[in-house]
Amino acid sequence: MIQLSHNYSLPEREEDIIPIKVVGVGGAGTNALDRIVLDGIDKADVIAINTDVQSLASSVATAKVQLGRGVTRGLGAGGDPELGYQAAVESADEIRQALVDARMIFICTGLGGGTGSGATPLVAQLAREAGSLVIAFATLPFSFEGKRRAAQAQEGLARLNQIADAVICFENDCMGDIVAPKAGIHQAFAVADITISQSVRSIVNLIQRPGLIRIGFDDLLRALRSENGRCLFGFGESDSDNRAHDALGQALKNPLMNKGKMLADAAHVLVQVAGGPGMTLSEVEILMQELGRHINDQTQILFGTAVDSRMGNRLSVTIISSLGNESGAETKQAIMHTPAAPPAPMPPIWEQQQPIETPATVGASDGMVDLPPPAEDLVQFPQPELVQDVQPTVEPPAAKAAPEPPCVIIPRLKPAPKGPGEPKQPKPEKFAHAKQEVLQFEPITRGRFEKSEPTIVEGQDLDVPTFLRKNFRVK
Amino acid sequence: MASSDLMVGLEIGTSKICVVVGENRPDGTIKILGVGQAPSRGVRKGEIVDFETAMKCVHEAVVDAEQKSDVMIRSVYVGVSGSHIQSFNNRGCVLLPEDRDEIDEQDIEDVKISAREVSIPAQNAFLHSIIQHYHVDGQDGVLNPVGMLGQKLEADFHIIHGVRTRIQNTIRCVKELPLEVEDVVFNALASAQVVLTQHQKSLGALVIDIGGGTTDYILYVDGAVKECGSLAVGGDHITNDISMGLRIPMTRAEKLKIEEGGVTLGNCLPGETVLLKDDSGFAGKEIERESLNTIIHLRLRETFELLKRKLEEQSFINYIGEGIFITGGCSLLNGIHHLAGDIFEMPARVAHAQTMSGLTSAFENPQFSTAIGLIKYAQAVQADRRPRRGIGRIFGRFFTGMR
Repeated sequence: MIQLSHNYSLPEREEDIIPIKVVGVGGAGTNALDRIVLDGIDKADVIAINTDVQSLASSVATAKVQLGRGVTRGLGAGGDPELGYQAAVESADEIRQALVDARMIFICTGLGGGTGSGATPLVAQLAREAGSLVIAFATLPFSFEGKRRAAQAQEGLARLNQIADAVICFENDCMGDIVAPKAGIHQAFAVADITISQSVRSIVNLIQRPGLIRIGFDDLLRALRSENGRCLFGFGESDSDNRAHDALGQALKNPLMNKGKMLADAAHVLVQVAGGPGMTLSEVEILMQELGRHINDQTQILFGTAVDSRMGNRLSVTIISSLGNESGAETKQAIMHTPAAPPAPMPPIWEQQQPIETPATVGASDGMVDLPPPAEDLVQFPQPELVQDVQPTVEPPAAKAAPEPPCVIIPRLKPAPKGPGEPKQPKPEKFAHAKQEVLQFEPITRGRFEKSEPTIVEGQDLDVPTFLRKNFRVK
Repeated sequence: MASSDLMVGLEIGTSKICVVVGENRPDGTIKILGVGQAPSRGVRKGEIVDFETAMKCVHEAVVDAEQKSDVMIRSVYVGVSGSHIQSFNNRGCVLLPEDRDEIDEQDIEDVKISAREVSIPAQNAFLHSIIQHYHVDGQDGVLNPVGMLGQKLEADFHIIHGVRTRIQNTIRCVKELPLEVEDVVFNALASAQVVLTQHQKSLGALVIDIGGGTTDYILYVDGAVKECGSLAVGGDHITNDISMGLRIPMTRAEKLKIEEGGVTLGNCLPGETVLLKDDSGFAGKEIERESLNTIIHLRLRETFELLKRKLEEQSFINYIGEGIFITGGCSLLNGIHHLAGDIFEMPARVAHAQTMSGLTSAFENPQFSTAIGLIKYAQAVQADRRPRRGIGRIFGRFFTGMR
């Protein structure tokens, strides 16, 4: 068994770790960073950036940058974004130095305060200039913190949105919902930190973990691509008997996920399933099928899977997506530092499509995964024909739900072919509209009442299942 | 223990055969001594379709009850159901002789006979005729006219009748065992005896007994039965629907219905599933909870809507003050009372037998309402038979001749 997992050439991949840095800016950012460090992150450097020396001193981050020695003299920015910005300008060189040599930089920050709202956009800017991909995790203040703070946060977020490649936004108000009403306020803030920590770590894992079907930066970007949009993020992990189901359930319960209801409107959903060597194809299949029920037919699923022996019996699911206006996102795509292909034909890196069907071929196609994609051409695996292949494989349940002629009891339902412009499927609570029955392949069945005296009331044979008579399609 | 105090109710249901042994205590309460059960075979939609098999099952249940209650069962009250059972309201009328103006017992019997003088289909037989109200010389709402003065005695009866041969089948099945059949009682009538209190009957209530094969209903207004009947749709249909809709075997569908089934729509997380464990001859399957609930919901909604339309033909449904009482095995489905409440637009609740002592677990289960109701009915009949008290429901015994 161990031998087998080695055959998947995992050790080689470990060497190609992508340099990632996680940066916490401001008080909230540092808190979140501390949480990330305490939860354990071993494949990334952590840097705390703050104006407040006290907060910096107590941080457990390995690298620290103090902003604005002259401007704030070791004190906080006092809730003034302008001051925060000036402090960052003053210490720009130090920041630049700290951020050097990273392919990907995560910036955690709490918007609304001085350093968070003021300095973060600049930090992001410097990170971009250093040639890294920048993903920002920002928390928005609780509404009780006042309108002024909310306005500062929005301003900061807007600027951050312009600069960073992606912004994942956590609304503290949403966090409050999952904290017990009696819990202290520190717990409510801690929940935000924990959620950020979970997100950062799972995204780092997503990128770093050797994937059978790898998720690339481009996949990540595509999933997160939206302007001022709401980011949907879910992470679940389970080692129970029914771990695929449980992990997905957990992921969907994430406060940023809103029970998965939001997923229906997302254009791209990134899913990564990771597990130990014991993860089976059928588990992944079950999970993806289940997820398929939550998402739209038109949604593109960016699917990745990874086997990591350290996962042991656990199986984890990471779902990332975003809601928002696609049109705004396209402009973002244009300013991406990567020589970006136009958004529509940009294919995800689906190099390892085959292994999922036939695990035997994994070894053969390994070579492609092992290519460490150079920083500048992340999206240079144009294999559009594979994208076509992929859609049906990962979306069977969604395809099944497509509207079909209401003929009854056809044992095996083939997914109906459907065009992209097709209307949404009817919601389950609505009965299918009365349509002309096309052709019945079988006479209506009465099941176990086949041989008994029919119960005919008001012209209806009540022995025939109601859902058949009402033309309601059961999935 | 005098044998006359022992009462046994036998319900030959579609999914199970149930025998309840009860004892009539001196203080007028009933104590349940034991409940015998056997899964039912050979019964479809409340009627026997395979005589031999059904007989074996009845025997099994009776033996079970004898063991559990430690008594010999000699005679039983048998519940019957089936879509053939119908009912109507009729008024009987007698004129007292010129020389007498005090109404006596004989006049009551006469008026009952007169009420029976209606044409029912030739193959049908009377099952019950239940007094609603007497009218003495046009005076309404007389409960007991015996001893009253008057010239013209009229009485409104609710008459329940069914196909003679089908009822006889049930009787024969019991007699072959051999057991005495004390009386044959329509299931819903029996259920109502224990589900409703006298007060609820007077306020007006609808009892819906959803069993395995049939849905029996009885409607009380003003303390009297106004409508009743039986619809050959029940839990079996739900199971069948699930089995066909989700393409799983019947036994699985039945289990799934009992363990996971619910009636309320939109109550589960999108994509929430129920996992059916694999078993020999059955590959495991994941069932979407919403689909399961939708199938159940559609069936029950239809059943309730049918009932409602049926009841709306006469206007008695508008006089229900207390609401709907759902009983029978299917009433255990989650949220069924909400659905019923929605459709009938009145309060609905799941009810089980009240006012009993003894095996609490037995009567607190709506599955046993009918069988326990049979005992309660028996008690009422026996009390009525001996001292001939005029109060309460007087159950016609037209059926005696038929047996």
